[in-house]
Amino acid sequence: MVLEATMICIDNSEWMRNGDYAPSRFQAQADAVNLICGAKTQSNPENTVGVLTMAGKGVRVLVTPTSDLGKILACMHGLEIGGEMNLAAGIQVAQLALKHRQNKKQQQRIIVFAGSPVMHDKKALEMIGKKLKKNSVALDIVNFGEDDEGKTEKLEALLAAVNNNDTSHIVHVPAGPTALSDVLISTPIFTGDGEGGSGFAASAAAAAAGGVSGFEFGVDPNLDPELALALRVSMEEERARQEAAAKQAAEEASKEEKGGEEQDATMTERASEGASEADNKKIEIADDDDTSLQQALAMSMDEPTSSQGLQDTEMSDAAAEDPELALALQLSVQDSTKDSSSQADVSKLLADQSFVSSILASLPGVDPNDPSVKEVLASMQNQSEPQQKQDEDKAPKKEEEK
Amino acid sequence: MACTHDHSCEDHDCSSNWSLYKHIDLSKVTALNEANPGSVKSVFKAWEERLNSSGEHLESNEGDPELLVYIPFTSDVKIKSISVVGGADGTSPSKLRVFINRDGIDFSDAQSMQPVQEWDLVENLQGVLEYQTRYSKFQSVANITLHFPESFGGDTTQIHYIGFKGEATQLKRDVATIVYEITPNPSDHKTRAETGGGLSHVE
Repeated sequence: MVLEATMICIDNSEWMRNGDYAPSRFQAQADAVNLICGAKTQSNPENTVGVLTMAGKGVRVLVTPTSDLGKILACMHGLEIGGEMNLAAGIQVAQLALKHRQNKKQQQRIIVFAGSPVMHDKKALEMIGKKLKKNSVALDIVNFGEDDEGKTEKLEALLAAVNNNDTSHIVHVPAGPTALSDVLISTPIFTGDGEGGSGFAASAAAAAAGGVSGFEFGVDPNLDPELALALRVSMEEERARQEAAAKQAAEEASKEEKGGEEQDATMTERASEGASEADNKKIEIADDDDTSLQQALAMSMDEPTSSQGLQDTEMSDAAAEDPELALALQLSVQDSTKDSSSQADVSKLLADQSFVSSILASLPGVDPNDPSVKEVLASMQNQSEPQQKQDEDKAPKKEEEK
Repeated sequence: MACTHDHSCEDHDCSSNWSLYKHIDLSKVTALNEANPGSVKSVFKAWEERLNSSGEHLESNEGDPELLVYIPFTSDVKIKSISVVGGADGTSPSKLRVFINRDGIDFSDAQSMQPVQEWDLVENLQGVLEYQTRYSKFQSVANITLHFPESFGGDTTQIHYIGFKGEATQLKRDVATIVYEITPNPSDHKTRAETGGGLSHVE
């Protein structure tokens, strides 16, 4: 997303009539220019691109750096081929056009399409390169078309003179079946300096590489960005939900044994902290709705099992990976089968005060030295009391569930 | 003009005078023709650190001693004097030309434009020399551009420290938020007399 002003220097010399790049060198160049303009304006909406021709009657600026893609595409129409390319003058005029860009905060970049032979000597090109580097202008060179001796060497020398921290690149495109623009898409000219391709470049690359199915969800993010986004979000949500479910199941499995005491302990805590009227109410409810209460209790105890049943498939998957988890699962399954008698077991465990106090100590927010908790512990010594306490405790639980 | 510090600087707390570096907007400082992009930010530090060149320093490209440094401030400042510590072996800059409140100056502009002020520098490796400005021209500086056209014969120009002495005015050149009232409502503008404040009552 770097803010950039780019000048593209087009070679419209006689050498561009050649057909070794389909359909003609000039047409291939025009396609590449269109793609570059699109990529630049998409990667940052404030980017500007300008175009100039190097051959013909002389170097001519077709459009000064602008972010209006339509203007740029329009000026590519009706260009005539002829004359000889003047690389040095073209680069210097491009530098001048960039100097007078409207937004001085933009980085300056020149992209040169060098299709015809280079007339200048290496020294002159190196001087130009140094001047560009001094004014912190980056240069990208696309070497295609004619390949006479020395051209590659000269262009490499030019690049070496300009290059500052790998911001400038050179690409050699030989003639062949692949179009010029397709070759360019995978180069740093398109993808920027190691930022990772913009969405445009990436999707275009995928399309060029192997058909529409190259996209993540079979939907082109460019054609239908909302759909692609929705698909991606729902995929992530599903993944997160599965993870959460697996985690919850594992927690429930391991806490199933502890769950009974934990719930009771927290219930007792709340009971002791609650106002006296709340206590009275609980006792009333316990007396009146005993049978329905027992039913509600049975259902609530059953709940963990039912939810486990639903998530059996995911849990079995998770269990396969984690032997500890498998053990916990087994225990929980066993536990749920003998849930009806678990109350008696729980009360027996509750009677074991040391066990209970150790559990309480490990619970967050419960201070075993709290007098109310101690009172509760003391009261839990008796066998009959635990049962009554549980009923009272499950009453508030039922209230909460209401 | 020179302030030679062969004493220990405790009597007249030099470092507080050279504190304009705190008002420099470091993220927007740029330099042209620097060998390492970003190294220009290392030359703005406290007075005590001016000789501490263990970190980076600003160096121009090989074979070309010209340097251009653009420094924006976070608020308008008044600059009394400038101090520059260069490098050894002829890599100190020999001239300094400054431009005020102009962005986007490049080398061709700098060479053709008339600077606000220019100085012939001397090799100032200890950082004890300062160059006074024509204060009346440096009254509200939002940004300053320093152009070092040549060095003392070295292949490159090195700069280890640039310091500014002066004061910050707290005035900013930002967009102002102004609230307009079509019909002013007196209840929104209670004076002190109406609210009964400011007077003490003795019961």
